[in-house]
Amino acid sequence: MRNASTWAAEATSVFVKEWRCEFRTRYALNTLALFAFTTLVVVSVSLGPLGVSRAHGTAVLPVLLWVILLFSVAAGLPRSFVQEEETGTAMALRLAATPSALFCGKLAYGLTLVLALEAMLTPVYVAMTNLKVVSPGLLAGVLAAGGYGLAAGSTLVAAIIAQARSKGTLFSVLAFPVLLPLLLLSVELTRLAVAGSPPGVALPQLLLYDASVTVAGLMLFPAVWNP
Amino acid sequence: MVAPGRGPPGQVGRFRGMRGIFLHVLHVTESRLQFQDIRRRFGRLAVLTGVSGAVGPGGMLLVTGPNGSGKSTLLRCLSGLLAPDGGTIEYRETNGGPGAPLDAAERRQRVGMVSPDLAFYAELTVEENLAFFAGLRRVPPDRGLAVLGRLGLPLDRLAGALSSGMRQRLRWAWALLHSPRLLLLDEPFQNFDAPGERTARELLAEHLAGGGLAVVANPSALDFDHAERLDLGR
Repeated sequence: MRNASTWAAEATSVFVKEWRCEFRTRYALNTLALFAFTTLVVVSVSLGPLGVSRAHGTAVLPVLLWVILLFSVAAGLPRSFVQEEETGTAMALRLAATPSALFCGKLAYGLTLVLALEAMLTPVYVAMTNLKVVSPGLLAGVLAAGGYGLAAGSTLVAAIIAQARSKGTLFSVLAFPVLLPLLLLSVELTRLAVAGSPPGVALPQLLLYDASVTVAGLMLFPAVWNP
Repeated sequence: MVAPGRGPPGQVGRFRGMRGIFLHVLHVTESRLQFQDIRRRFGRLAVLTGVSGAVGPGGMLLVTGPNGSGKSTLLRCLSGLLAPDGGTIEYRETNGGPGAPLDAAERRQRVGMVSPDLAFYAELTVEENLAFFAGLRRVPPDRGLAVLGRLGLPLDRLAGALSSGMRQRLRWAWALLHSPRLLLLDEPFQNFDAPGERTARELLAEHLAGGGLAVVANPSALDFDHAERLDLGR
């Protein structure tokens, strides 16, 4: 019990540190906000002020929502481990932190960042594109589960690429197979939420994906972090 | 630069009188570090080619050699940060019994390390940095703050605004935060002014007097008469 509580305290320390540093530099916040706002405006203007027809909207708008989210997250989250390597703080972390607690602290930071982004972006997107969502509860659930998958996948890939030389290229190459199933499932579930259809097997599959990425992260991270 | 004992009132002053804080529980346990035939290559470059040494309680191993001779690499191997290509590293912390050697992950958690490569979060203050790492080490930050008190470093200064000598003071405080029995010191007096170096030497002497052990890497031989020496010069 004591080990679990100290582990949780370690993860919490990392989480608090991440947000404290973020509030002072606002690197990820600014990057995410810039990408999200820019792509949101581009999509809204391109589709016209009155939005698209309901038939087209159900098919197209969920895809664009997740493209915006992916672009924004990809611009901000991969920095979390890269910055530790570039500034030299990784050495102190390696000597002091339990790898799994470090991974979970970083994941919790990424998750809160993604959820905050979704909470701000989605209502504006829905309003600007005149998207009618028949099952808002399902949409909220999909955003939460999909957001977790985005955060977990990005954190894992960020940890893997942190020590590589071509970080940007490697992130794209590694993130593609990791995030593709998540995006396909999230888009499908968002379509179902917009149309008011039942989620079917897609929702359990998305939750299974989240669990798999988390377990893979916890198992792989110690080896990735301490070569 | 803030001279030792001359930091801002209320920050440094409250730690005065804690000079003996480093004579802690080291005497309760015995530690021993032994490494044999350590080899490490980086690509085609063989940096360490069969390096051996040992250090026991209260002992210090002084590793000397020119730049590029592998001093820092050796310390990284000993700390568990870098896996050697060959050879054995046995570090034990025993409580009377024989004790099993610690693996690399355990060594990383236990050792205290001062290294020029060690950096801290520029956006956090000195005190916030120490508090964060104390949280990870699961110890109160008192010991690190006491060291800073002796070294004379303002706690409310951002780590990104520290001079090189001040950063070295923070490295010492960070290394001693969790009362390690094994100190791995890579160029430990680099960038110090005279009072800073004097205090750091006192801290090292107290660590050794308390039964701790140290491996010190320095390009030139330091004036520690009682230290074992290991010359990596080629």
